Amino acid sequence: MSVSEQTKVGQNYVDGLRERFGAAILETEWQTADQVTVTVKLGSLPDVVEWLYYQQGGWLSVLFGNDERPLNGHFAVYYVLSMEGLVKSWVVVRALVEEHRPEFPSVTPRVPAAVWGEREIRDMYGLVPVGLPDERRLVLPDDWPEDLHPLRKDAMAYNQRPAPTTDDETYTFVNEASGSTRDVPLGPLHITSDEPGHFRLFVDGEDIVDADYRMFYVHRGMEKLAETRMGYDEVTFLSDRVCGICGFTHSVAYSSAVENALGLAVPARAQAIRSVFLEVERLHSHLLNLGLASHFVGFDTGFMQFFRVREKAMTMAELLTGARKTYGMNLIGGVRRDIMKDERTRTLKLVAELRAETTQLIDMLLSTPNLRERTAGVGVLSKQVARDYSPVGPLVRASGFKRDVRDLHAYAGYGSLPFDVHTEDSCDVLGRVLVRAREFFDSLAIIEHALDNLPAGPVLLEGFHYQPHRFALGFAEAPRGEDIHWAMTGDNQKLYRWRCRAPTYANWPPLRYMLRGNTVSDAPLIVASIDPCYSCTDRVTLVDVKKRKSTTVPYKEIERYGRERKNSPLK
Amino acid sequence: MNGPLPLSNPMAPRDERGMPVPLTESEHIAALKGKLLKDIQRSAYVYRVDCGGCNGCEIEIFAAITPVFDAERFGIKVVASPRHADILLFTGAVTRAMRMPALRAWQAAPDPKISVSYGACGCSGGIFHDLYCVWGGSDKIVPVDVYIPGCPPTPAATLYGFAMALGLLDQKLKGTHQIEGEADRAVVAHPAIALDVRVEIEREARRLAGYRAGRLIADEFLTLASETDLTLDECMKRRLSGEEDPRLAEILTRLWDIGAGVARG
Repeated sequence: MSVSEQTKVGQNYVDGLRERFGAAILETEWQTADQVTVTVKLGSLPDVVEWLYYQQGGWLSVLFGNDERPLNGHFAVYYVLSMEGLVKSWVVVRALVEEHRPEFPSVTPRVPAAVWGEREIRDMYGLVPVGLPDERRLVLPDDWPEDLHPLRKDAMAYNQRPAPTTDDETYTFVNEASGSTRDVPLGPLHITSDEPGHFRLFVDGEDIVDADYRMFYVHRGMEKLAETRMGYDEVTFLSDRVCGICGFTHSVAYSSAVENALGLAVPARAQAIRSVFLEVERLHSHLLNLGLASHFVGFDTGFMQFFRVREKAMTMAELLTGARKTYGMNLIGGVRRDIMKDERTRTLKLVAELRAETTQLIDMLLSTPNLRERTAGVGVLSKQVARDYSPVGPLVRASGFKRDVRDLHAYAGYGSLPFDVHTEDSCDVLGRVLVRAREFFDSLAIIEHALDNLPAGPVLLEGFHYQPHRFALGFAEAPRGEDIHWAMTGDNQKLYRWRCRAPTYANWPPLRYMLRGNTVSDAPLIVASIDPCYSCTDRVTLVDVKKRKSTTVPYKEIERYGRERKNSPLK
Repeated sequence: MNGPLPLSNPMAPRDERGMPVPLTESEHIAALKGKLLKDIQRSAYVYRVDCGGCNGCEIEIFAAITPVFDAERFGIKVVASPRHADILLFTGAVTRAMRMPALRAWQAAPDPKISVSYGACGCSGGIFHDLYCVWGGSDKIVPVDVYIPGCPPTPAATLYGFAMALGLLDQKLKGTHQIEGEADRAVVAHPAIALDVRVEIEREARRLAGYRAGRLIADEFLTLASETDLTLDECMKRRLSGEEDPRLAEILTRLWDIGAGVARG
């Protein structure tokens, strides 16, 4: 899309880059008024990203590889920075990697936030990040053959299944503790995260000295699926299935990526309806997390009460979208359902009920002495670690950063909706609970305001033209942080590349620092405070390095100990 | 038998190409299972095994066990360890990384146990059924007794599925076969209105109000237009006077404009 000179937002960053790095800046291309992709020389990639990140107020939202050999003979790596200095815009740094020399300089030593993305690029494309200290796999399972990189265009069919190479888990966990410690693995069929994951806590007595974890137990290959079996317009429904809680947020992020790439203007009414659905999702997700926060501090009555009230939010979702999950509502260019008067009236009534009941419940929760005692000063995410790792959502907001894409890069109808970005300076679990509680009431206000001021006109844009090889970013603030999607259209109405980053992906890497220095009984609470989705439970193995003794106790036992803090399973 | 395969592992059987095959149950266990269902006379304990779901199913299971739906009324209780379980609930398409953990959970549960596939992905692998990192539905690795479909199944469907698993209810599945008679013809809606006009009206209504409300509104408009003795303008004025939903009025007015345009030629 051609963007006129006057409307470009973020030109200052491009000018700054040219001035500082001169010949290393090869090309700039604007996708939308505030999205620019800058191609740089491979060697200066770390310098450019570091300068934008630390000197210009950038945050690393996502990074990914792309096999562009059929297009220009090279692999490419993209580092997406959300610029949050004086000028709010997106700068995507792109560098080409030669086919016969599949390696690129790692950015992680300069900007720690890049660590997971670079490990994933190595898994999926076989490009080696030179200088990246962590050489373990990230995404691919242990039983996956070496040297088979699924996202290379010429590597394999999307449905090719190599026989498992092993039945054992071969992943090594890293312990940075200096003294001797015990191992406490939580998982693998286990409790926390969007996907099942495996945690290993290294403890000294009751204190966590270090922690490491393995995720991606549910890696299914959706990105490959989207590039092969499905059309670009069907991927909206696939992106719903990225997450069972914030699925609608993913499909908004995906559709807006394609809409931005093709330069489509979505009707105002469709945008407003998207905002309403997004906030309905935030309602039930925040109630879920507040319920779990109650559960983990031993306040089970609160858990049950929050889930009782949460059903009203589910009823609202069912009323507005026809199903308890807000699935299947987005199309490229609009939404599939309108909101008529009857639905509006009933939703507003539910909003009023939710407000009254949740106010009561939150008062009850906050006046429970146990809550403050268990959560204040626990799981601290220091400002420095937050700045280094680019976490998102209530997690980063409770560490004092005003990061919320609804506010920074307004999308859907958020430009004209009333809400505040709530922050806390306590950096702890309590801060995250308080931020969520306040956001809940803002969501109610947004729904009311949006329903009272729905613009007239159509809910769907029709008759646009599909163009291949166009790309752009789409983003949306899920209850637990921003979803970032990058889509590139390809031939035959299929995507050439789709990169989807869920918020929890950005929140895992700093978790290790949040766990350090806390006690074992606080671990479930801390993990819950980043609001991963709770998907499975399992056992915990306690390994005592000093006594050379290994005990296995059920996860429930650790969870019970977390709540009651009596009869430690470690003894 | 020609001796063990290089990777043979009784817990995780493979075929000759090294690909995983489902576990099987002996007749003895199957008989025990029937006995368990008949004589259970106590609460049934359920253990959830997430084999790679998106969490939609997990949250709906949560919803089913919390106060509004309250599965514990029926003695169905979710437990924290497979060793306590009578019923194993498998959610999600089985991913490569979750194959072994899921099999270990199945092995850990005491026999006789009932396995339930939960959700579209659990039942068949769903949209992910043939991907490189997925083995398919849960019946690709363990023997399954009951399927609870849905994306995700509602809490009500979950309760119904549990009742079926426990033999409290029979599956309400009946087949009917429709045979078209000689004179049967599908009826076209609003035959009095020209096809292209009808299509234009329906499209516009859908563009304005989405597939569901749009369909209803277009239907109402076409019924009004084709069954009235009045002129279209007269008919629409009557219809819109006193209409309390401004959005509905906006859409009907737009359709009226189209209709009037057609009438003028």
